[in-house]
Amino acid sequence: MMRHEIRSTLAAVLAVLVLGAAVLAAVPFQAFEEALCCIPFEETERILAAIELGYGQENFPSEDTLRLVERLVEHPSPTPEKQGILLTLATALEEGLPIDDLLNKAFEGLARGVPLNQIDGGLYQRLILLIQVRDLLYANGIFSVPAGSPQSVPSALPTPRFNELLTNIADAVGDHLEGGGSPFDGHILFQHVEERLMALQGVTLLQADVALVLERIEPADLTHVALAAVS
Amino acid sequence: MKRTDVDEILRDALREEVSGARACLDDLEERIVAELGERRPRLRTIDWIRQLVAPTRGARFGQFAVVGATAAAFLVVGLFASRLLDHPEQPAVGGGIRLETAQAARTGMQDVLFVVPAPLAATTVVVVGDFNDWEATALSDEDGDGIWTTTIPLSPGRYEYGFLIDGRWWGEDPRADEHVQSFGEYSSVRYIGRGGEGG
Repeated sequence: MMRHEIRSTLAAVLAVLVLGAAVLAAVPFQAFEEALCCIPFEETERILAAIELGYGQENFPSEDTLRLVERLVEHPSPTPEKQGILLTLATALEEGLPIDDLLNKAFEGLARGVPLNQIDGGLYQRLILLIQVRDLLYANGIFSVPAGSPQSVPSALPTPRFNELLTNIADAVGDHLEGGGSPFDGHILFQHVEERLMALQGVTLLQADVALVLERIEPADLTHVALAAVS
Repeated sequence: MKRTDVDEILRDALREEVSGARACLDDLEERIVAELGERRPRLRTIDWIRQLVAPTRGARFGQFAVVGATAAAFLVVGLFASRLLDHPEQPAVGGGIRLETAQAARTGMQDVLFVVPAPLAATTVVVVGDFNDWEATALSDEDGDGIWTTTIPLSPGRYEYGFLIDGRWWGEDPRADEHVQSFGEYSSVRYIGRGGEGG
């Protein structure tokens, strides 16, 4: 009897902890509805639907996404420019892509006082790169599986590890292009990607994941990725 | 002996018996209470805990609420403490002459010193980067020599940043690991924890 009571008490405490953590960790979806209701976007429903999809992703950065929405709502730029940025994010969420890098880029632009249409241009190029790099990884047999699922083959990476690789490869190619580099410089692109991955090996990337990418991707692959982003 | 005498004798005996019994009953309640008081066990700490864990059904909800509220309070305090550890109060200002790191007390975190020279007339110097969500962290120049500094604890990773000197972007920190172009201007990049280096 006593053990039963102890178990009940522990279960209650555990439930409180789990619920408390869930409440504190995630921004409620209603917060997005409230934030977006102030602006007459034509595509509000699509943006909200994409955000709702985002909640199904692992590690969806709801807090940062809401912060960006609120910053844009307050921004003095014309409504279509604000909507453009949110639609780019919405597309990424619809594609199931990680949006941390896009959010980071948007906040960087806002901090530096870059016009919204220019920020959106930069975000759109990063979006294309994320799509292209993801497809390149898939084509080379490097997949993403939900964290916690059994890893059937070494190239089936848990989503957070896959996303970290994807984000860094796309970012390295993006930096090359933004710096005025040519998309045809496959070997230079490969060198940038290799340097980036090696620099983060053992820091935010696993050595095995870096080796996997570097042995399966070739300079010509990165030329295709870069060309898609600038065309 | 006559019958009436016998009756009298029996009646007297009964009367004595009853009065004696009444005397016994007079302070019975007080005596019982006193005796119970002497025998009542002291409530030890372990018994108190047992009562808390195994309460009566009526009191269970209230006690669960107390336990739950305490747990929630610990959770909230813990989360706020962890956030404070991640984003502690940061000192103000500066540019790119030196960027030094020192091993912080926390495992994996390093205190990174940002230093930037600015015109003597400068009034505000801040550093913005992905480590602070591109929100300004002020640098300070307490001796007024135009060298603005701040220290920010960073976990291992790659960080892109730049300085805003009176609102103007300056992203070419000479002590950065690399420079990248972003939105048409340079930004600085620092790797923390790469190959065990301090930054």
